[in-house]
Amino acid sequence: MVDYVIETKDLSKIYSKKRAVDSVSMHVEKGKIYGLLGKNGAGKTTTMCMLLNLTYPSDGEVVIFGKDPKKYSKEIYPKIGSIIETPGFYENLTAYENLKIIGKLRGNYNPRNINSVLEIVNLTSVGSKKFGNFSLGMKQRLAIAAAIMHNPELLILDEPINGLDPFGIKEIRALLKRLSHEFGITILISSHILSEIENLADVIGFMDGGVLIEEISREELFNRLNKYVEFEVSDTDLAVEILKRLQLNENEDFTFRGEKIFLHTHLDMRDRFNAMFVKEGINVKKVNLCEENLEEYFTRFVQ
Amino acid sequence: MEFLKLKRSRIFLLSLVGAILPPLLMFIAVSAFGEGNTFKVLFTNVNMYMSALFAVLIFAVIMSYLFGREYNEHTLKTMLTIPVSRGKFILSKYVMFLIWIMILTVVTSLSTLIFGFAAGLDGFSLKVFIYSFAQLLFANVLLFLTFSPFVFISLFVTNMVPAMIGGAGLALVNLMVYGQSWAPYVPWVCPYLIASGEIAGYGTSITLSYGIILATFLVGLFVSYLYFTKTDVTL
Repeated sequence: MVDYVIETKDLSKIYSKKRAVDSVSMHVEKGKIYGLLGKNGAGKTTTMCMLLNLTYPSDGEVVIFGKDPKKYSKEIYPKIGSIIETPGFYENLTAYENLKIIGKLRGNYNPRNINSVLEIVNLTSVGSKKFGNFSLGMKQRLAIAAAIMHNPELLILDEPINGLDPFGIKEIRALLKRLSHEFGITILISSHILSEIENLADVIGFMDGGVLIEEISREELFNRLNKYVEFEVSDTDLAVEILKRLQLNENEDFTFRGEKIFLHTHLDMRDRFNAMFVKEGINVKKVNLCEENLEEYFTRFVQ
Repeated sequence: MEFLKLKRSRIFLLSLVGAILPPLLMFIAVSAFGEGNTFKVLFTNVNMYMSALFAVLIFAVIMSYLFGREYNEHTLKTMLTIPVSRGKFILSKYVMFLIWIMILTVVTSLSTLIFGFAAGLDGFSLKVFIYSFAQLLFANVLLFLTFSPFVFISLFVTNMVPAMIGGAGLALVNLMVYGQSWAPYVPWVCPYLIASGEIAGYGTSITLSYGIILATFLVGLFVSYLYFTKTDVTL
């Protein structure tokens, strides 16, 4: 039986007649990175807020670590690290002081822990600089430090790479992968940046208009992505005629546009088709094996 | 933890300046215009201006800052996901507010003492000082209870402007109401009237005034708790 760390059943949130989240049934497996993907306003943050009890559901159920977080909040939430939207820290305090407050409130304040997480997120050099004077990237790093400081079993991260530079993104991505793969931490991460989720997640949930359209594993997703061969030829009409001669149907097995022919089936026979084109005197300028990317796949759902 | 949150806080420093302002104004009045020449008069005047006027405005700002900053600096979600229960969160703010008020009371009393000596006033005795300090402390603690509705305002409108306008408005109302026959029924005026003993001159029931203060506190507390525990956190 699959061990789910987070499970929601028909979770909904209605704001003055508008369904911000509509009957979401989500399943986050233990030790996996679950990427929640969707446009701005798709309902990702509201869903995460409901998981963290910051927003009360209008309907449905939330189960975290097999229990109702409302009833067992003291048991469940200390095991969770989270970032929701803008990093929230006291502007008049330093990074260390902010983490000290959080550590003390969690009852596990340890200066070594704080220094260690500040090192992980490259914030050891900020010293006495106040949080109010941090750049957005530094704020985001501190939020990540606060989220992982208490060695949580589950991370709920809403757009955690916002404001980070490419190097920062790479570092955080590597860190999250390490936390998941080496320490078995379950991660629920949301983003509207498709490539980010594609690079990170083991399971992807597509959200649009408050609805969780699909939950799909990374492997399954790659199997589902459309693949095709693109030929760029000097004589499209002749190339089409050759394909038809080989019992291939237009619109079903292939399509064409301008100098390009798109082969959707019989992909493993592309070398044979190429040889035939050349034999018939067609100049083949390009042969590409193309694969639909996550962005194109996602666009198919939300349009 | 609430103390650490106030480290390097400008509002905290400004509130200290606010607490020194009534003694400073009275010092100027004494030095420049010769108004009152004893410590007793100085303390009485400072206590009146502080608890009936300045404190109302300062307390409104403090209360809205304590709650409002958790929204404005987006720290509320951080606190609640630790998790800190919503009830404990409100309670910690009330306690911090009370401690802050006590600090301001000490600052006002000590600065009055210093200004009194600087102005060369007569009649200082430890008894006068302790009596005056206790009077101001009592008035401020009663006033603290009447600020419970401001908690609700601070939770409902999370920036400091409405609280400041409300505080300034209340200070003006206090000025207008003070001396009127119905002053003992106004929650924000009666703390000073009770603490100073002036309420005896109104011929009204002191128990009723205490009841009004208590009712204001309880209604404010109940409404704030209900609102805070039933409402989604604004991000």
